Amino acid sequence: MNSRERVLGLFKKEKIDRVPCFSGMGNITEAGINKLGYKFAGIHLDAKQMAETAATTFKLYGYECGVMPVDLCVEAEAMGCQINVYPHAEGILYPTIKEKLIHNEAEMDTITLPANMGELGRVPMMREAIKLLKADIGKDVAIGSYVLGPFTLAGQIMELNDLLKLSFKKADKVAKLLDLMADAIIIVAKEFEKAGVDYITVREMGATSDVLSPRVFKNLIAPPLKKVISQISVPSVLHVCGKTNDIVTTMVETGPTAISVEQKNDVAETRKKLGDDALIFGNMDAYNVLVSGSEELVRSTVRKCIDDGVNAVWPGCDIWPSVPPANMLAMMDETNKYGGKK
Amino acid sequence: MADEARKKEIYEKLRNGVIQYDEDACREGAQEALDAGLDANEAIFDGLVSGMEEVGRLFEAQEYFVPEILMCADALYAGLDILKPHCKQMDLGVRGSVVIGTVEGDVHDIGKNLVKMMFDVAGFHVYDLGRDVPLDKFVDEQLKTDSELVCLSAMMTTSMVGMPTVIEKIKAKNPDCMIMIGGAPTSKDLADKWGADGYAEDASNALKEAIKMVGFLKKLRDEKLNKK
Repeated sequence: MNSRERVLGLFKKEKIDRVPCFSGMGNITEAGINKLGYKFAGIHLDAKQMAETAATTFKLYGYECGVMPVDLCVEAEAMGCQINVYPHAEGILYPTIKEKLIHNEAEMDTITLPANMGELGRVPMMREAIKLLKADIGKDVAIGSYVLGPFTLAGQIMELNDLLKLSFKKADKVAKLLDLMADAIIIVAKEFEKAGVDYITVREMGATSDVLSPRVFKNLIAPPLKKVISQISVPSVLHVCGKTNDIVTTMVETGPTAISVEQKNDVAETRKKLGDDALIFGNMDAYNVLVSGSEELVRSTVRKCIDDGVNAVWPGCDIWPSVPPANMLAMMDETNKYGGKK
Repeated sequence: MADEARKKEIYEKLRNGVIQYDEDACREGAQEALDAGLDANEAIFDGLVSGMEEVGRLFEAQEYFVPEILMCADALYAGLDILKPHCKQMDLGVRGSVVIGTVEGDVHDIGKNLVKMMFDVAGFHVYDLGRDVPLDKFVDEQLKTDSELVCLSAMMTTSMVGMPTVIEKIKAKNPDCMIMIGGAPTSKDLADKWGADGYAEDASNALKEAIKMVGFLKKLRDEKLNKK
């Protein structure tokens, strides 16, 4: 059973030989970028560079997937936002949005999506990159991509401060905007599917229980998420950052194939709550363990994640590129050794 | 001068105005405090800040979430804008200036703004660099303003990793400057490892940390002066 069969089998809930180690979020590493001689700022803008870089984490460490893009700005850019890739930065800086599309409350009602959004910004480039990555390592591993959740996208195109307050004061208005964001996300997800991705992660990062109440998550955030997820035909994973124990049931109700959580989630409790049948990924601390922890901490965390009941060893966030190669190897090796025991 | 009962009533109005995110009540309460000849500093601390402390408690108890806090902050500022021009030079045992901003690569500034609010009420002079701030700008601004404190904020793990560079540069040029890091992905371990003097996941912790640090700094300077 190779990595591709293992991951696709997992999504179909078939019997597989062991827990896989992969993710639906960013995972390129400095070791990979340096090996190719590319600059971080450049790989966001070039299909060939992006695809080659995305293949390196599998090639160097055996990480069981290939995932693109690397940044979080694809949808907003296709809607008309300018992005900043920080071309002159010495270190690694992820692209951000330069200018909002909505500047005041009134513009929430007047905003529309460009008619040909699937051809704008880097969406065509992403299609090409996915095809290149698939041709390169698509026989060995599953190829994934991600889109934002409607609330997180809304927080990029207008002031998050205003969006949060209006979620409380004028929930109807925000609900209408989120529904439009869902449409935008569906357009992008469909393009990724056309290019041949095997699974799509929906990253509703901003709607964590650290920020919004479980009640608001259920009433305001979940409906547009459900809309997006219902339109994704490949397996889908819903990821929410931060505290999520009080919303995992609502997350599952939005209909994804699997849910993804980070280290703040008590996964043993989540497993108990959702039962044996639910696919639960994540919980592996992508920074404090994988980047700054020792090899032994990486190994013990992998074992703990598996013991607590995850179906995949899956870092709960983008892997920070400066991750020590030894830690990546330790994560893969430990999953390999321990992942079949449960 | 107002009697005790009237004073209590006004402070209660300010406090509840903040807790119930009622900007009008805070404006009215602030004006009533001035009309009654109450001390503006006292009205800020026993009214507005006392309300914000309760908001912090409600947040910890998960009764309030970030949208509510932002509305409470608006209410606090509505009162503060009226009271502040009438403040006498504050003597809280701490006075200082602070450089604050969100590090380059991060466009999230809600946490930073809440921390800034705490410095505003405590009477600090705040140099707010905004968000997505190039790392060298923190270093330059600290040197230019000779601020005792620099606060670096990051919401995302992906932008937090620029922090150690700034800390190192500032400490190299000005070892006495205290540095506080904040934001969801930061931790005490990281603060220790990177040589920061304090860390705060959230705004209410940040103020406590900041006051502690400025107090410590004052002590350090006093000791140095005594030696001379």
